Amino acid sequence: MTELSIHKVWIIAKREYLERVGTRSFLLSTFATPVFMGLLLIAPAMISASTARGIVSEGAGAARIVIACDNRALAELARGELIRHAGARYQPSVVSPASAGERERLDKLLDAGGIDGYVWLDAAARASRHVVFATALIGDFILQRRLGDALSYAFAADSMVKQGASAADVAATLEPVDLRAVRAGRPSSLYNAMRGAAVVLVLMFVMFFSLLSYGVMVMRSVMEEKHARISEVLLCAASAQELMTGKILGTGSVGLTQIAAWFAMAAFGASRSPYLRAAMTALDVGPSLIVYFVVFYILGYLLYSAIFASVGAIFNSIDEAQQWNFVVILPLIAASAMILPVATAPDSPLSLAVSIFPFCSPILMFERLAVHPPPLWQIALSLVLLVAAIGAAMLICGRIYRTGVLMYGKRPTIRELSRWLRHA
Amino acid sequence: MTPTVELIRVRKSYGGFTAVDDLSFEIPPAHIFGLLGPNGAGKTSTIRMMVGITGPDSGCVRIFGEPFSRRALHRVGYLPEERGLYRRMTVGDNLVFLGRLAGLSVATAKERIGAWARRLEIADWIDRRVEELSKGMQQKIQFIAALLHDPDLIVMDEPFAGLDPVNTMQLKDVLVGLRTAGKSILFSTHRMDQVERLCDSICLIDRGKSVLQGSLGEIKAGNGRRFVQIDYEGDGRFLCGNPLVDSLNDYGNHAEIRLKPGADPQELLRTAARGLRVLRFQVMDPSLEQIFIDRIAGADD
Repeated sequence: MTELSIHKVWIIAKREYLERVGTRSFLLSTFATPVFMGLLLIAPAMISASTARGIVSEGAGAARIVIACDNRALAELARGELIRHAGARYQPSVVSPASAGERERLDKLLDAGGIDGYVWLDAAARASRHVVFATALIGDFILQRRLGDALSYAFAADSMVKQGASAADVAATLEPVDLRAVRAGRPSSLYNAMRGAAVVLVLMFVMFFSLLSYGVMVMRSVMEEKHARISEVLLCAASAQELMTGKILGTGSVGLTQIAAWFAMAAFGASRSPYLRAAMTALDVGPSLIVYFVVFYILGYLLYSAIFASVGAIFNSIDEAQQWNFVVILPLIAASAMILPVATAPDSPLSLAVSIFPFCSPILMFERLAVHPPPLWQIALSLVLLVAAIGAAMLICGRIYRTGVLMYGKRPTIRELSRWLRHA
Repeated sequence: MTPTVELIRVRKSYGGFTAVDDLSFEIPPAHIFGLLGPNGAGKTSTIRMMVGITGPDSGCVRIFGEPFSRRALHRVGYLPEERGLYRRMTVGDNLVFLGRLAGLSVATAKERIGAWARRLEIADWIDRRVEELSKGMQQKIQFIAALLHDPDLIVMDEPFAGLDPVNTMQLKDVLVGLRTAGKSILFSTHRMDQVERLCDSICLIDRGKSVLQGSLGEIKAGNGRRFVQIDYEGDGRFLCGNPLVDSLNDYGNHAEIRLKPGADPQELLRTAARGLRVLRFQVMDPSLEQIFIDRIAGADD
């Protein structure tokens, strides 16, 4: 193994960086992605806020729900509860008594579009608490949940009233609990689970796609040099290790530039948008989390880009490589599937295992750091394993790269690959 | 004088295929060396071992008097067979990048690029992207890239492939100038006519083995002066069946003759002068192409 010339690595990395950072696709992805993300974060908040302010006008478009029940008091309780929680979104009405003829009429009305749904509360339904809600809005799970809540409330309130409780007693007893999560050790800061989860997801998304797209960029760049026979000229002037290292560092710097730009834009956005600010304070996106993000991004990128570089060296066309890309990114996909399990049980043995596994740790250990910081030894272990994996990948993939970039024509078999490894 | 490059019993195989087999030659300074052979003979494999892209399985490559090491590469210029330039970068940026990798400062690189561009008449193209250039033009750029760092050994794989006659002449002039300046130049080709006018010595390889090597003069002398052309007036039929003649192409007033081994051309001239009015009588060196074909075909038997 020859010594690495830092000077040559620098020249190669600089060329790689300058060529990519000036492209239109880089500028587009740098500026369009955060705008899209911002909309994704802000839009739901904006919509619910405008609903609360009554921008969505009363009556128009509100779901017309009929509550049919022999017990008018029970039906009225459910109706009142629905209105109290959902305001203008629903337009509930009561039909009593609930006769067979009435049900026929409601079915026809539902078919004709005169109503959006009805709840059938006959004696059997009241006894068993299995209630049928016939509706055209079969996909509106929020309506269904609210209706269920309102009915549960009505059953409880009705039985309390029958036992002689006053309306005030009923309201006080059945007042729902307002659960507020705060971050451990920081009871003053209110944790908004929805917004917190959204920010974690955005960061995961950025990590996942940056690892993927910059890894693939390294692969394409290797392929281009191989295809245009540039590798041959370069290998006369620089060693294979210098070439691969320079290429990985140059492309990686492009990725870091993009992420830095995104953080800067997020900071700017937070200074302008209360929603974004709320989302970020909810998660305490502080300096340490950003440092962790950058560290895990860099290490994850080094691991994956080394593998992608060797894939680029093995194959002669993007089409050929595409199928194998899938194998390379499989652990990344597995990691993204683990995001939810890790979020709900960050300290489980499974979460520990996947967050120290080098191919997943950049995403999942970072996630644990974001939702519930793990013990220090676990962080250290995942970093040590990750660095060891990078060392191994650089060694193995460097050998494949060195031989592969000069091999044209048919793609090698597994046996040939193992020979490259032994003889390189 | 220490040879610039020395290959000593070099062998290289890929998998089960032997690309270079027990090959030895040396190139002195101020010398143009032609590495000849049909396609797939092992020319590129040989060249790659001289520029550090691969190493020999056995045998030894010595360069500037020492066993090969990558440190010697800053004194080597390499022009590969296939064009190797970044298509989306400008010509100038490509050249500066390659010059920097070869150890030049940006300023020196730019200065030399300017000088070469003027000399090869491509100054207008420096700010164009490589993808806008014709193949021949890219070839000239690559040529400059190989020479930017003023190497003492210049290795060129098929340098004239795809060039028009004007550009070929231009690059040949450059190579001859470099030889005068004391540089050693190796180029590979399968075009014999290019070699005859340019090379001091050659090595002809076939299937990885050296078939023929030495200085051009020695090789031609060693292969005998057996070719004669006659322009004549009169009845040339007597040439058929003449004991001196091995084969004959008679065009009526022009004949191309290959003599039998050991036959004296002077005797043929005397015989011809008796029966014909001889306008021109020329004893030809065998063309390298002829030798090449004879040797390669001979190896097949």
